[in-house]
Amino acid sequence: MNARNAVIALALVAAALSAGCESAGALKGVQIGGVDVGQLAENVGGLREIKEPEEIEMGKGVAETLLGASPLLDDAQVQRYVNAVGRWVAQQSERPNLPWHFAVNSSEVVNAAATPAGNIIITTGMLRVLRNESELAGVLGHEVAHAVRKHHLAAIRKGAFAGLLAQGLQAASQGSRNEQLVNALIGPTKELYARGLDKSDEFEADRMGVVLAARAGYDPWGLPNAVQTLSSIKPDDNAVALLFKTHPAPSARLEKLAAAMGQSFDAMQGRQNQERYRQVTARIRVAVR
Amino acid sequence: MRTQWAIALPLLLCAGLAGAAGSGYVLKVTDLKSKPFLDAETVIKLPERTPVEIVARQGPWMQVKAQGKRGYVRMLQVRLNLSDTAVARAPATSGSLPTANRPAGTSPIVTTGVRGFDEQGLKDAQPDPAAFERMAGYAISADQAQQFALGAELAARGVPYYAEDGKPMQGARR
Repeated sequence: MNARNAVIALALVAAALSAGCESAGALKGVQIGGVDVGQLAENVGGLREIKEPEEIEMGKGVAETLLGASPLLDDAQVQRYVNAVGRWVAQQSERPNLPWHFAVNSSEVVNAAATPAGNIIITTGMLRVLRNESELAGVLGHEVAHAVRKHHLAAIRKGAFAGLLAQGLQAASQGSRNEQLVNALIGPTKELYARGLDKSDEFEADRMGVVLAARAGYDPWGLPNAVQTLSSIKPDDNAVALLFKTHPAPSARLEKLAAAMGQSFDAMQGRQNQERYRQVTARIRVAVR
Repeated sequence: MRTQWAIALPLLLCAGLAGAAGSGYVLKVTDLKSKPFLDAETVIKLPERTPVEIVARQGPWMQVKAQGKRGYVRMLQVRLNLSDTAVARAPATSGSLPTANRPAGTSPIVTTGVRGFDEQGLKDAQPDPAAFERMAGYAISADQAQQFALGAELAARGVPYYAEDGKPMQGARR
């Protein structure tokens, strides 16, 4: 099964659901790309868990659209380094066996994002404002937490997005069925990543990101320091417009972290690996302080 | 705990000083401590919004200068001044690092910022399956991650998740 087929199946299901199909049973036995559409309809409708292979194909489809926003950084050393840090942090999570992929996008924008099933994108703009590897581990830990807790998957399953998928289907007129259906998934992805998750999901990802980095042996204060840095960037700076629109204010995030972390992490040592971070990211980092 | 800090402090100081800079203010009424411990002597009580100059970052603590005194405050109580971080304004076109900021022996990086991971970039995005394939090509396996961690003295350890109110959560892995 490839991503396109999974996407097609999901879009069909969403259309059926929002069109008011009495039950997903109408689609029972319909197979697209090896996916039982009837069964998937029940899953998307909230009756059952979406199975991991389906989640992985969805995540791939979402990632393909997000990667269309800015080009990958053409630097294998940085890409592998971010993958190594990210994978090691992800190994400390409750879903170590997902096909974790990390990518650095070449963009001045300060941002990071996760898709269902662990495709995580971070921008060169974000790498530039981070001071060391523990801050990177914290930011990646935050994104890993979104995938572990299936925050985006849950958002996509909500009615509004199912409806958008259906609208996309109807809007697409001519052309092959694949094109129609692939088009139908682009809208919900753009809508979700421009609007953002619920604030409670972001606060949870902060709390978990701190712990995942700490479990990985890093200084647990990496993420708080990174968020504190964000608090110093002017909200009208174009570089942070989307990040600030889709996340709670940095000051609120710091306040929530203070309540959750308390003194629990005070005696915990951890690595910052500042030298290595600076060395690997030297070519993309501008001295900002 | 004091003993631990006594050992860790010189290391932390080095790490902190390297990244030190900036100024901000304390969000609420905050004790300025003589040392980075909760039970250390309070040098002075800083009123809400007292300006601080950041000397160093040390885990949960920030060494600061405030009201002419030097001491430590909890880092999560500090908010940075807006002007302190000169993030590059998202340029619409590409640019290269100024020579002065470029480490010796590296070539200038050209950032292709024509499209960015921002609202407009997202709006204009078309699915890029080839980019996903390249992304997947950079993946690190679990075993490779383990090797990477060993090489960086990163030891995995058990840490529970914490709830919003700071209580450790049950059933956490590790």
